[in-house]
Amino acid sequence: MTQQPLELVAITGLGVIGACGRGLPTMDQALREGREGVGALGLWQSSLGDFPVGQYRGDLEADLDNVPGLTPYLRKRLSRSDALALVAAAEAVGQAGLPSLQAFGAYVGQSVCGTLTSEALYIEARRRANAGNPEKVDMRGAFVHEGANTLDRLAEAFGLRGPTLSFMTACSSAANAIGLAADAIRAGRCEVMLAGGADSLSRIAFNGFCSLKVVSPDGPRPFDRERQGMMVGEGAGMLVLESAAHAKARGARVLAWLSGYGHSCDAHHLTAPHPEGKGAIAAMREALELAGLRPSDIGYINAHGTATLDNDRTEARAISSLFGEGAVPVSSTKRFFGHTLAAAGGIEAVVSVWALRHKLLPANLGVRVPLEEAKLDLVTVNQPAQGLHHVLSNSFGFGGNNAALVFTEAV
Amino acid sequence: MSIIVTGIGVVSALGPNAAAFRRGLLEGSNACALHGFERFDGSVVNAPAYMAVPAEPEGLIEPRKLRRMFRLARMSAVAARQALKHAELEPASLDPSRLGVVFGTSFGAMEPTQKFVDSWIEGGEASASPLQFMNSVHGILASQIALDINATGVNLTCAQRDICFEAALDTAVNLLQARRADVLLVGGADEITPMLHEFGSHTGQLVLQDVPGLDPWGARRGVVPGDGAAVFVLERDDSPRRALARVAASRVGRHDQGGPNLAVELAEAARPDLVTNNRDGGARCARLNDRQQAELGLHVPAVSHRGNFGTWPAAGAVQFAANVLMLCNGEFFMPLAGGKPVELKAEAPKAILHNAPSISGSHAAYVLAVSD
Repeated sequence: MTQQPLELVAITGLGVIGACGRGLPTMDQALREGREGVGALGLWQSSLGDFPVGQYRGDLEADLDNVPGLTPYLRKRLSRSDALALVAAAEAVGQAGLPSLQAFGAYVGQSVCGTLTSEALYIEARRRANAGNPEKVDMRGAFVHEGANTLDRLAEAFGLRGPTLSFMTACSSAANAIGLAADAIRAGRCEVMLAGGADSLSRIAFNGFCSLKVVSPDGPRPFDRERQGMMVGEGAGMLVLESAAHAKARGARVLAWLSGYGHSCDAHHLTAPHPEGKGAIAAMREALELAGLRPSDIGYINAHGTATLDNDRTEARAISSLFGEGAVPVSSTKRFFGHTLAAAGGIEAVVSVWALRHKLLPANLGVRVPLEEAKLDLVTVNQPAQGLHHVLSNSFGFGGNNAALVFTEAV
Repeated sequence: MSIIVTGIGVVSALGPNAAAFRRGLLEGSNACALHGFERFDGSVVNAPAYMAVPAEPEGLIEPRKLRRMFRLARMSAVAARQALKHAELEPASLDPSRLGVVFGTSFGAMEPTQKFVDSWIEGGEASASPLQFMNSVHGILASQIALDINATGVNLTCAQRDICFEAALDTAVNLLQARRADVLLVGGADEITPMLHEFGSHTGQLVLQDVPGLDPWGARRGVVPGDGAAVFVLERDDSPRRALARVAASRVGRHDQGGPNLAVELAEAARPDLVTNNRDGGARCARLNDRQQAELGLHVPAVSHRGNFGTWPAAGAVQFAANVLMLCNGEFFMPLAGGKPVELKAEAPKAILHNAPSISGSHAAYVLAVSD
């Protein structure tokens, strides 16, 4: 169904944290220097071998000192995912220069949530029960497991009173949260929204992806012929979205516009993507249509590019089918951050805006021999792009859940 | 533009479908019973609960698809098919890209998640079960439904504790109004597993002694848990199908940050003649209180039917089913409290305000009205 182009929504703040470090300047440096985020797992002992992860290696506890409104009481109730989200959100809100967020809302994408905490409590409870130890584990900390915990901590720290929703569509969660938050602004439900996603590493996610045999022993090599799989990561990417009128009225600096959002479901398989990328094409096409753009208007695609055998093959097919073979520069930034699951769409939204603002396409790190059948114009080293006006970012999740966002330069 | 409800499906402790659910509510059936919950140490605790009856997929879902579905996924998929059947809507007759699913669940896929963790606790991390992992993500219920009916449109899952269904409803209303979909299956489901029961027992939230049923107005002595699924077909009011009820308004926000009271705002505009809420006797849930009602000149009953079907985070979906049925059949369901009917005077409502302040600080409210 052809629809009218959507009203542009202003992006006035960005925040990021992950394997490349904390904050936009650190990310900028990592992207420019091609500094990958591949490293050893340091949060727990795994017996599965030396699979690298995209772990945040800064002092998260100290980083929380930069979050305004975080009372000692709230601080005690944070999961690692919550902490990552708060740090990224504080940066985004600071950059937006908003004096208060009280009238505003937040849409957040999550998947792992507080699992790192709750799974440890469960494992300990089972261990004691198996050992015949009658001493019970205090399960009260398990409340952070629930999906809305991050959203609630954001609302409490920033005093949000507007619409707040928590979306869990696996690895497309943040992209959906951002797209839907922009819809909420267009519908007049709120003038300003905090939107993005956050997820920490967890045993469940790590062991789960290992059980699916999709984790690479040497980190991800997206769109490489010899790629062996993904790297599980953690982080957060948050955006401050604002109606154009509100941003103009307060004289805010618009970093970029969110111009399109498309969403679809493969309805094909619980984990495997549709072999022809049918759902991915539908999401990208809808995002373009609603942005009022043609495929040839897109100057760069930040691919989902997890480096699994299935994803890269089908995503490449989908891109080639919609945009034409080799017609648009493409890169995946998963070797910088790892696959940060629900946070991926948020972090990659920040990268997309970075590309637009700096007129620079980030390299697809890790590729040695490009996947021939992909027929992509793969960005293997950072590439200047003076004529870059629009960027498309893909996020795909379990259950064939596809989301595509289009960002447009602010002039 | 109004959003209407054109189909309803329910699997609950009151029965395997909407007809049984309605009969149970009309007759004041109490579905609370003692159930055995296995603890981590292998012992079994008998405690009251409202466990949903087994879903009846015969004639609705192909057996080969059922094999891949765990209990909660079955309940959800069966309720979805019931809703489509009730709306006399054959999914194959629709453009699949305009058919979507929006689901609310707080606990999500607890059974496969626990099985997944158990698989590596017992056999070592290399023995982790990929099948259980695939099923462990929150979005699995919405994905299973989409897979069953070939819905390639929007597919979203809202995880927001005890307003997860209301959050899904609000999301769906907005998607339909923005014309991002034409037909949406909107639902909510959660299940009570032995692990969750043990967690809830540790935190002191659950009633463990033998009681006749949940009392939504009880003095904070804990809740009697339950489980189930309810799914609805939602469309814009230009649909050719019969409207069972109309979603006149829907809002989500916060009640903990000093913002406006959404329920009061909606009540002011809609002048409801019945208020329902998510009160379950154990949390900080509140009725639209008497003072607020008096300020608005509202003198209407405020009820919760969780004494009839139990409570769980997504139970708002089943309350929504009760509300739709009251409106479309012109009847009122007398609620139970502690296993006994609450004596109050009420007539068949024409407009129901549902007020769902979450224990987490989130707040959702909607107005459901008879169709024009």
